[in-house]
Amino acid sequence: MLAWNQKTFLIVDDFSDFRSSVRSMLRELGVKEVDTADNGEQAIKACSQKRYDFILHDFNLGDGKKNGQQVLEDLMTDRLISHESVFVMVTAENSQAMVMSALEWEPDAYLTKPFNRAGLAQRLEKIVQRKTLLKPILQALDRGKPAEVLAACVNLTKQDPRFAPLCLRYKADALRDLNQHEPLEAFLKSILADRPQPWAYAALGKLLHKRGRNGEAQTVYEEAIRAFNSMPVLFDGLADVLIASGDNRRAQKMLEEAVRLSPYAVRRQRLLGKLALENQDFDGASKAYRQAVSQGQFSRFKDPETNLGLAQALISKGGDRGLDARTRVEINQTLGEVAKEHTNDAGLQVRARLMKATSVATSDPEMAAKLTAQAMERLEGMEQFLSADAALAVASQLKQLGQESAGAGILKSCAEIYGDDPAVMQNIARQTDDPGILSAGKAAIDLNLQGIRSYRAGKLGEAQDLFRKGLALQPKNISIALNMAQSLLHMGVQNLDAASLQECRNSLKMVGKMPESDPRYDRYQKLRLKAFGE
Amino acid sequence: MSDQQQGLDFSMVIASTVHDMKNSLALLIQAHGQWVSQLPREHRGHAEQGVIDYEFAHLNSMLVQLLGLYKLGVNQLPLRPDYHELDDFIEAQLAFHEEVLASRGIAARYEVDDFGLPGFFDRELIGSVVSNVIINAIRYARKDVLISAGQVGEQLVISVNDDGPGFPQHMIERQSDYVLGINQSSGSTGLGLYFAANIARQHQRKGVHGHIEIVNGGELGGGLFRIFLP
Repeated sequence: MLAWNQKTFLIVDDFSDFRSSVRSMLRELGVKEVDTADNGEQAIKACSQKRYDFILHDFNLGDGKKNGQQVLEDLMTDRLISHESVFVMVTAENSQAMVMSALEWEPDAYLTKPFNRAGLAQRLEKIVQRKTLLKPILQALDRGKPAEVLAACVNLTKQDPRFAPLCLRYKADALRDLNQHEPLEAFLKSILADRPQPWAYAALGKLLHKRGRNGEAQTVYEEAIRAFNSMPVLFDGLADVLIASGDNRRAQKMLEEAVRLSPYAVRRQRLLGKLALENQDFDGASKAYRQAVSQGQFSRFKDPETNLGLAQALISKGGDRGLDARTRVEINQTLGEVAKEHTNDAGLQVRARLMKATSVATSDPEMAAKLTAQAMERLEGMEQFLSADAALAVASQLKQLGQESAGAGILKSCAEIYGDDPAVMQNIARQTDDPGILSAGKAAIDLNLQGIRSYRAGKLGEAQDLFRKGLALQPKNISIALNMAQSLLHMGVQNLDAASLQECRNSLKMVGKMPESDPRYDRYQKLRLKAFGE
Repeated sequence: MSDQQQGLDFSMVIASTVHDMKNSLALLIQAHGQWVSQLPREHRGHAEQGVIDYEFAHLNSMLVQLLGLYKLGVNQLPLRPDYHELDDFIEAQLAFHEEVLASRGIAARYEVDDFGLPGFFDRELIGSVVSNVIINAIRYARKDVLISAGQVGEQLVISVNDDGPGFPQHMIERQSDYVLGINQSSGSTGLGLYFAANIARQHQRKGVHGHIEIVNGGELGGGLFRIFLP
């Protein structure tokens, strides 16, 4: 039996009747310490002030409020609860819909209302039993040490082979975190050959996708969906693979299916909006972005790109017909939020203004001109780089708003910054035929490629020379600057003379202007740490 | 929003209403339980209490089943099998029905062949099937219900046995009709068999699908329901 009187509980539910009913059940069990909260924010605050052994959290805390899954995500991501704590998701209906919305973190158990004291006690005791058994694994997880998790799994399975099923997922996650690709692949395939589970399919698909084996990943996901036709995470995975192989239309269909199954996922809705926009399905894009904006309100995945995306989708949907009053209000509101919440982000300020200007270009040309002028002024003094997508959008809007040469300027600098990415160059080519923009970077890109070859062949000095020449031609190119810094740091920062160290730091300062959303940002951070030691 | 006025999708209307009904029932059950616990001991345990507890449980399981059938119909019943300890699974079922069993004066026990035997199934779905069957068994049992789990060949079998009069002969003879949904006229038990069989069938391993079976007899001599999971 559990020593109930020593355990701390937090009950989170928006119904006070329910809270008091559960509280009295716990009292009857002998529990002394029970706190309650009626919304997610309060729950998070409570967990940051006190360590709870048990959290009983209602999934649905009302429309427009954080739901239980989001609270769990926040608690885990911000490490406000230990892996040893027990989180029980209480659900009104059976738990299917909630299970489906769980992407990364899953509660220890789902408990369906109504439940009685005996049922509650039985569940909790069983979970505690299991967690006690898994203690070494859970503690290693709290320490963030995947190698120790792996060792603990091996130990436990050795102790009694019947515990092996409990370890499967921990082991797979640990292998993933340790980048042990081959063992992970073999392990997941053995699970799938024996007793297929959706998570194992998803993990294998993700692994294959990550390793660039998209064809195989696609086959895995398709097989998974045949076996488990209602798991959104599998449709998400298939969509990722399809995007990577350029089949955006089918990818959109997959995400639509995932959204139909589980509409409450901000990131999924946002990605769907983006895809639909690219596929010129403006209706679909507006709908998905609108959902993402409203669901994002209370989510850690709130993102101004979503608001900008919604505005873009609505403007595109209006097309040449222009916008009705209601749409203009919606655009105004969604952009107003961006401008208000990101006062220090020059890029977002520029983009919000241009988007707004575009939306009123026909209805209120004077306002459009004023906003455009403001945006251009801000652009002038802007240090940070826009992301490629943002730059392309800004360029096309400037052109539409009659600022052709400013637009061309944006395209030119975009080509300089991102010119080594063929996909970006293709998109630039859709907006301009100017050879001064389209082929200005060619020589530098060639030098960069040669530099990479030399670097790989171990000819460090030669590589540095090539990158240096490339950078002289295109000083803002992120890839070349990163390569320059990396090829210098390769010798060890302590071995660099003052001039080289300065050269390295200057390159990184340039790179540091890229948006944090850039996939190379991590690499930059690592190099920066080496070069600046901070 | 579209201006098109389309006819009501009645199954969806039912599903969303049932969802609300279930919420409302949950509050009712919880409040009633609390109220009863505050009553002086001599006022508890009346025969009416047995009726109330039983019908609460029965209503709840019907609503769960109805929602399940709806999802089955629109192909949105996600299957998420995992490893579960059978003793834990059955204990949870018995704990869930504790009040009903007590107020009907029925002793329920369980047997698991190999203690700690892990089963591989969707806990939620199999849980709602077994729960329905237990409610049904409670209705017909005189004083005993036995739940057991074990392995038959490669398959896991969970069975619910009671000491009542057993299933009507015609139901046993024509069980495949119920399972296939051909005979839907026999009310909740028939529908329950259809639901159970469908959930069982969703569980498969290497081409073998799960199934159900009803007979009379077993250790307690009454109705015996068995669900086979590969």
